[in-house]
Amino acid sequence: MIYRALFLRPLVRRPWRFLVTVIGVAVGVAAVVSTVAASRAAIASFAEGVEEVAGAARLEVTRPGGLPEELLDALRPLAGDALIVPVVEENVLLLELEDGVRLLGVDLLLDAQVRPVLDDGGGFPDLETTLLGFGALISKSLAARLGASLGDQLTISADGRPRSIEVAGLFDIAGLSAVWERVVVMDVAAVQELLGRVGRLDRIELVPRAGSDLDQLRAGAVALLPADVAVAEPSQRRRFAEQMLASLRFNLLALSAISLLVGGVLVATTLATSVVQRRYVVSLLRSLGASRRQVAAAVLLEALAIGGLGGILGVAAGFGGARLALASVRFTVASVVRGIPASDIRFDPQLAVLGVLVAVATSLAAAVLPLLEVTMTPPLQGLRPVAPRPLSGRARLVVAGVLVSMTLVAAGLTRAPTLWDLPVAALLAALLVMSSLLVGSGILLDSLARLGHLPFAKLRAVPLQLASAALSAGRRRAAWAAGSVAVAVALAVAIATMVSSFRSTVEGWTASGLRADVWVRPLAAETGVWLGRLDPEIVTIAEELFGADAVDPFYAEMISYEGRPVSFAGAAFDVVQHFGSVPFPGRDSASVFAEALRRNGAVVNEPFANRFRIREGDRIRLELPGGVLEREVVGVFRDYSRSHGLVVVDRRDFLPFFPDRGPDDMALFLPPEVDAAAARERMLDAVRGRFLIEALLNRELKGAVLDAFERTFAITTAMYLVAAVVAVVAVAAVLFTLVGERRRELATVRALGGSRSQLMAMVVAEAGLLGVAAAAAGTAAGLVVGVILVKVVNLQSFGWSLELVLPWASLAEMAAWVVSACLLAGLPPAVVAARLQPAAVLREEG
Amino acid sequence: MEVFSFEKGSHQMMDTVVTLERVSRSFRRGDEEVKALVELSLDLAAGEMVALVGPSGCGKSTALNLVAAVDRPNSGSVRVCGVDIADAAEEELVTLRRRSIGMVFQAFHLVPHLTVEENIALPLALDHRRDPARVADLIHRVGLDHRRRHYPSELSGGEQQRTAVARALVHRPRVLVADEPTGNLDSRTGAAVVALLDELRRDEEAALLLATHDSKMAAVADRVCELADGRVVQ
Repeated sequence: MIYRALFLRPLVRRPWRFLVTVIGVAVGVAAVVSTVAASRAAIASFAEGVEEVAGAARLEVTRPGGLPEELLDALRPLAGDALIVPVVEENVLLLELEDGVRLLGVDLLLDAQVRPVLDDGGGFPDLETTLLGFGALISKSLAARLGASLGDQLTISADGRPRSIEVAGLFDIAGLSAVWERVVVMDVAAVQELLGRVGRLDRIELVPRAGSDLDQLRAGAVALLPADVAVAEPSQRRRFAEQMLASLRFNLLALSAISLLVGGVLVATTLATSVVQRRYVVSLLRSLGASRRQVAAAVLLEALAIGGLGGILGVAAGFGGARLALASVRFTVASVVRGIPASDIRFDPQLAVLGVLVAVATSLAAAVLPLLEVTMTPPLQGLRPVAPRPLSGRARLVVAGVLVSMTLVAAGLTRAPTLWDLPVAALLAALLVMSSLLVGSGILLDSLARLGHLPFAKLRAVPLQLASAALSAGRRRAAWAAGSVAVAVALAVAIATMVSSFRSTVEGWTASGLRADVWVRPLAAETGVWLGRLDPEIVTIAEELFGADAVDPFYAEMISYEGRPVSFAGAAFDVVQHFGSVPFPGRDSASVFAEALRRNGAVVNEPFANRFRIREGDRIRLELPGGVLEREVVGVFRDYSRSHGLVVVDRRDFLPFFPDRGPDDMALFLPPEVDAAAARERMLDAVRGRFLIEALLNRELKGAVLDAFERTFAITTAMYLVAAVVAVVAVAAVLFTLVGERRRELATVRALGGSRSQLMAMVVAEAGLLGVAAAAAGTAAGLVVGVILVKVVNLQSFGWSLELVLPWASLAEMAAWVVSACLLAGLPPAVVAARLQPAAVLREEG
Repeated sequence: MEVFSFEKGSHQMMDTVVTLERVSRSFRRGDEEVKALVELSLDLAAGEMVALVGPSGCGKSTALNLVAAVDRPNSGSVRVCGVDIADAAEEELVTLRRRSIGMVFQAFHLVPHLTVEENIALPLALDHRRDPARVADLIHRVGLDHRRRHYPSELSGGEQQRTAVARALVHRPRVLVADEPTGNLDSRTGAAVVALLDELRRDEEAALLLATHDSKMAAVADRVCELADGRVVQ
C-alpha cells in the first residue's frame, strides 16, 4: 500500500515526470556506453587483436625492423619442444574495401595447429593457388561485404605498390573476435614477395608442444638467438598498444563520466522534487503508522526503477550511439597506432550489464539527499509550512567555507603527479570544481532571487518579481536544476577552452612547422591514416626529379625505450636544416639541426622529453637491432601529431639499423620559382602505374592536419551536447514540478487579474533566471576546468604544452545559447501554467 | 434584513453592477454531468452586500467564480460592470479582474513566497501600477503594520485573512467576491474579519457577494439568497 501511495499511483497519474528522469539517466548512460564501446572496439582491435591473431603461440621472437629468416634455423634445436612458426604481418590497404586490412603471412600447412580460424576440418583451399600463387583466405563476412567469391581478384596496396591477390578460401569467424573479419591470410612466402621482404620475417611464434615447459623454452630460445632479439609473450605487444592508447581511453571515459554526472544530478533533482511533492502523503502515512524505513524503501524503489529502466534504455541507445562515435574514435586511434581499428560495434554483454549497474548506482547515489528529506518528514501533526527565508548569513558562510576548501583541494590536486601515468589527480580536481557548482548553486540562486526585490524589478516586472521569489522559495529543488545546467555549461566551456587552445596551438604549429611544398605518403585508407610505408624506390625517383637536397624522407620504427613504446626516426637533417622549420621553443630550427649535424646529436619531441624527463644536453641510449645507439639530445621540439615519444636522428644514423626500410612519408622542398602543383604532377606521373601514393600541397597538408584535429575532437563536442540535453531536460523537469506544486498560487494570481501572458512570463522568467545563474557559474567553473585540462591534463596525458586561448566569442555565444535553451525548456511548463483554469483549480484545492 | 426571492426583476436597482440571468453551469465528473447552477438569476447593486447560503455543493462557489470572471456559464448571461462574461475576450476578463473585482477565499490563497506587503500590492503590480501609500494605508487599517514584511506561513489564520481582505480592496474594485471567508477561522476571528470586510467595502462603496454557511455572517448582509442543487430556493 505504501509503495502504491508513494510510487506506483503517482507514476500512473503523472508518468511524464518518471519518463523524463528515466530518459535523463538513459542519455547519461548512453554517453558512457557509446564512448566505451566505440573506444573499446577501436582500441581492442589493436590490443586484443595481438593475442587473438597470435592464437596458440605462447612466445614470440621479435626485433624492431624484423628478423632474418635464418633465425628459423637457429631455433631448430627447439623443434621437439615447440612448433616454430614464421610470421610476416603488415597492415595494407584493400582497394575494394577502401580501408585497411591486416595481411597475415603464415605457414599454411603448419598454421592450423596455431590459429583455430584456419582449422577448417580439411575443407582447405586450393593449395596450388595459396602456396605457389597469391591465393588468400578471407573471412566470409569480409567476402560478403565485398561481394567477393572464390577465384575473385582483389587489389592491395603494400608500401604504395598495388598488387593483385586471389580469393582462394573463406573462413568462418562465428564465435571469434571481430578482429578476424579484417584479416587476410596468405602463405608467408607470398606475403614476403608482395611486401618486398623476401628472407625477412616480422616474428617467429613458438607454440609449446604438450608437456614442454614455457620457461625452459624461453631460456632455450634466448640462448640460441642474438642479444638484440626479444623473446616474450604476445601479451607484451598488447601492453605496448594499450600503453599508447591508455591516455586516450582514459580521457574519453572521464568525459563520458561527466555526462553521467549530469544524468545523476537529474535523478537527484527528480527524486527530491517528487519527495517534496508527496510530502503531505508521506506525512499522512507517517501519522497512520508508516515507519521511516518503509517510506525510505518507497523512494529507493523509485530510484531503482529509474536506474534500471534508464540503464536498459541507455545501454540500447549507447550501442547505437557507439556506431556514430566510432568514426571519430577510429580516426584518433588509427592516428596514434597507425593501423586498422575495427569498423563495427559488437554487442558486449559485460558492458551492457556494467551500463545498467552504473545507472542503478548513479540513481541510488542520487537518492541519498531525497532519502534524508523523506526520513525527516514528520507525521501530519508536525507538518508546518516553512517560511521561504533567504539563506542565513551563517549558512552562506558555511557554504563559502566548503567552496573555498574544495578550491584549495582542487588546486593541490593539480600539482599532484600522475597515477599509473594517467592524470587521475588532475581530473579529480576538475571533478571537484564541477561538484562545487552543485554545492554553490543554492547560494547563487539565493543571490539571484534578491534581484526581484530591486527597484527595477518591483517597478513593472511583476513576473520577474514573482519568479525570483518562487525560485528563492523553491531554492533546494531549483538549485539542483541550476547545478546540473551549470555542470553541463562548465563541461562545454572547459571543452571549448581546450579545443580553442588546441586549435590555436595546432594552427600555429602547422603554420610555422609544416614548410614542405609537397608531401608524399602512401595512399590513405578511409580512416584518413595511411598504412605501410613508401617503397625506397620512390625516394630515388624524387631525388632524380628534384635533387637530393630537396627531398626529406622520414623513416620511423617502433622501438622500446625504458620498457615503453617510442618511435625512433630518421630524417634528412641537412635538408631540414636548410628548408624546414621545426618548432623548438625559444630556438631557431636551422641552428638546432646544424648543431645536431655537427655534434651527431638527436632531437626528441616534447612527449618524449616530458615522459622520460629528458632535457637538452642529456644523453639517451637506444637499444636497436644490431647494436646500441647513444646520442646527445640537442633539441626538444613541439609535436602535436603523436602522444608517444619520438627520437629523431639523421638518416645516416637510422638506416644502418633498418637498411631495407622505406620512409613513412617524404617532404619535398622546392625552389621558389618551381610551381608546387606542377611538381606534384611530375611526381605522380613518374610513379603512375607502379605505385599508389598521395601527394599533398602545403595548403592541403595543413588542411588535412586541421581536418584530423576536427575529427579527433568530434566525439568530445558530441559529449557536451549530450550533457547539455540532459541539463535542459533537468530544467524542464524542475519547472514542471514547480508549476505543479504552485497550481493554487498560479490560479490565485489569475483570479487576482494576472493574465495568461504574465503567468507564462513568470515561469519563463524562472527558467531564464536558472539559465543566467547556471551560465554564470558554469562559465566560471568551466574556465577553471579548461585551464586544468589545457595546462595539466594534456601535459600529463599526452606530453603536450598548449598555449591557453580563451574562446571569448564562443563563450558569449554559449551563454546566450544556454539562457535561450533554458527559456525554451521553460516554455512547456509555462504553457501548462497559462492553461490552468483558475475556477477548476480553486475548486479542487479549496 | 430583507429576504428576497431573487427572481429576475424582483429587486432591480438603478446602479446594478452584477447581473446573472438564467445562468446554468455544469461540470463533468468522470462520466457523470454535475449541474452546479440551474437557471440562476441574480442582481447586485453598487454598495450592496448579498449573502449566498446553502449546503456544500449547492453552487455557491460556482456562482462566485462566474461573478469573479474566472469561469464562464454554459448558458444564460453574466454581466459584471457591463462586461458580458460569456462572450468577453480573455483580455477583457483579465482587465475586469484587475480593475473591478476583488476576491477573498476561504483558504486565504496568499502567495506563499511574497510578504504581507507584497501580497497586498500584487493586484496593482499585475496591472503595472504602484501605490505604496494605498498599500500602507490598507496594512494599517487591517492592523498588520507589524507584520508587513512577514510571509504568510508566519501569520495566524486571522492575520492571513486580513491580508487577503486588504489585497481584495487595494485596487478599489467595484465588486467584491468572498467565498466562505470565515470558513477556516474561529467564530470570534471570523466575525472580526467580516466586520472589517464590511467596513472597508462600505468605505469603498463596493458591492459584496458573499458565500457562507454562517448564519450570523449572512445576517450582516443586505439580502440573503439561499441555494440548493444549483437553484434558488428562497
